[in-house]
Amino acid sequence: MKQMTLEQAARLVGNDQIVTIGGTLSQRIPAAMVRELARQGVKGLHLVKPSPGYDADVLAAGGCLASVRAGMTTLEQPFGMAPSFRRAAERGDIDVIENACPAVMASLQAAAFGLPFQAVAGFAGSDVPGVAPFATVQDPFTGKDTLVVPAIRPDWAILHVHEADVRGNARIYGTPVWDRLMSRAARRVILTAEKIVDTSHFVAQPEMTIIPELFVEAVVHAPAGAWPTAVFDCYDIDEPAMRRYLDLGKTPQGFRQYLDETASQDRRALGVAA
Amino acid sequence: MSVSYSPADMMAVAMARLIRNEDVVFVGVNSPLPLTAVTLARRHNAPNCTFISVGGGINPTVDKIMAATSTADLGRGSASIFDNQEVYGLNGRGGFDLTFLGMAQVDSKGRVNSSFIGERDKPTVRFPGGGGGPAILPMSKRVVLWRAGHSPKIFVEDVQFKTSDGNLDRVVTPLCIFRKEDGRLVLDSLHPNVTRAELAEKTGFRIPNLEDAPVTPEPTEEELSIIRMIDPDNVRRIEFGLQ
Repeated sequence: MKQMTLEQAARLVGNDQIVTIGGTLSQRIPAAMVRELARQGVKGLHLVKPSPGYDADVLAAGGCLASVRAGMTTLEQPFGMAPSFRRAAERGDIDVIENACPAVMASLQAAAFGLPFQAVAGFAGSDVPGVAPFATVQDPFTGKDTLVVPAIRPDWAILHVHEADVRGNARIYGTPVWDRLMSRAARRVILTAEKIVDTSHFVAQPEMTIIPELFVEAVVHAPAGAWPTAVFDCYDIDEPAMRRYLDLGKTPQGFRQYLDETASQDRRALGVAA
Repeated sequence: MSVSYSPADMMAVAMARLIRNEDVVFVGVNSPLPLTAVTLARRHNAPNCTFISVGGGINPTVDKIMAATSTADLGRGSASIFDNQEVYGLNGRGGFDLTFLGMAQVDSKGRVNSSFIGERDKPTVRFPGGGGGPAILPMSKRVVLWRAGHSPKIFVEDVQFKTSDGNLDRVVTPLCIFRKEDGRLVLDSLHPNVTRAELAEKTGFRIPNLEDAPVTPEPTEEELSIIRMIDPDNVRRIEFGLQ
């Protein structure tokens, strides 16, 4: 049975594992799951994601991160930079692997296709390849120098979707951002879903299924599971709630309070025994 | 006659005027001012440009400017969903004519630092990171940088770390427009009501043609009326609040 509680699904993620997390910045982040990982005190995670935001900030505040490989980490307007991530980076607590969105994408694409590395376009004049795990190889067909990045296979892709069935098929409405790629790059997928629907819904229009059940290990029914970030056609960013998070996130005690006061809503056991 | 407008209005208008009718234009995250500019251009000076949003839309319907430009609402009204892999695929094959990119710092040679200041493993200041910049600046045919601030900390002689470099065309600020010419930034125009002394004082590198550059034409009433229609809540000002 793949359907489980948020707490059960979060326990699948072990210390020191590599995770990739769906959505972008403050959009469709699996926020309830991210908070639960922080509540459970998971340590040493390696976050691999082109454009993290609320997720990286919460995991940084919780001391859960060993490294972040990202192109850009921000909560975006109107909030600005991710402050807990920034503080942790400036203290030297997190290894920030300087990167670029399409390079992280290429590392995930290589993993998704079972390749050792992938070539990337651009980067002329940039210092990023010199300080990050990039390499230059000779294109065997043209002889030209070609910049490549290694495959990175996350242990988990943690994704928040609009609809899932109990078998793990899932739809996302609006842009899937990088979620489709993440689901193929990772070894296994953990889904949180606004709605649990019948499999017949997916069978009726299979071309709309972004994630097939084959890749999915866990399904959590989590209405408003991306709150306070936005979900297309469901809810927008909850700006007061984001401000409260930013306020409490300034101190470890405040952050603990934030995790406590969001726990009962996050941990509602829907459709499964707790 | 003179009309009343803000620095945000001037910046949005200046950026809109850089968009050409035949351009494929990309607007990414964290970009309320470029979103205002492209929405203005589509209704005014470049109605046939192709606007690609990181929110997933190709020519999406934009009734109102939003603060978070990564929103999937920027797929509404689009006939297809163009996700982030598609965006960087198109960039890789040279499909963008014009891209607007934000930045933390730019130097006298037009090189961008959006990464960090100080030691890499324990920086004095951690910036958000370059996003797609290192891949976009060399690949997009033209890149326009913008920043809703102008100080010697932002406009420096030499960046310590080059996050990205490449096909920089213009830099739009609340005080002026720079252009890149022969490998360095020169003044394209100075905005109205900004003095040359003030610009020199707030720029951390010497501006070679400071005394000769023209003044930016003021926003027209038509441009301003469109801006007020698409952004009645003045979301475009938000970037100024974060300086």
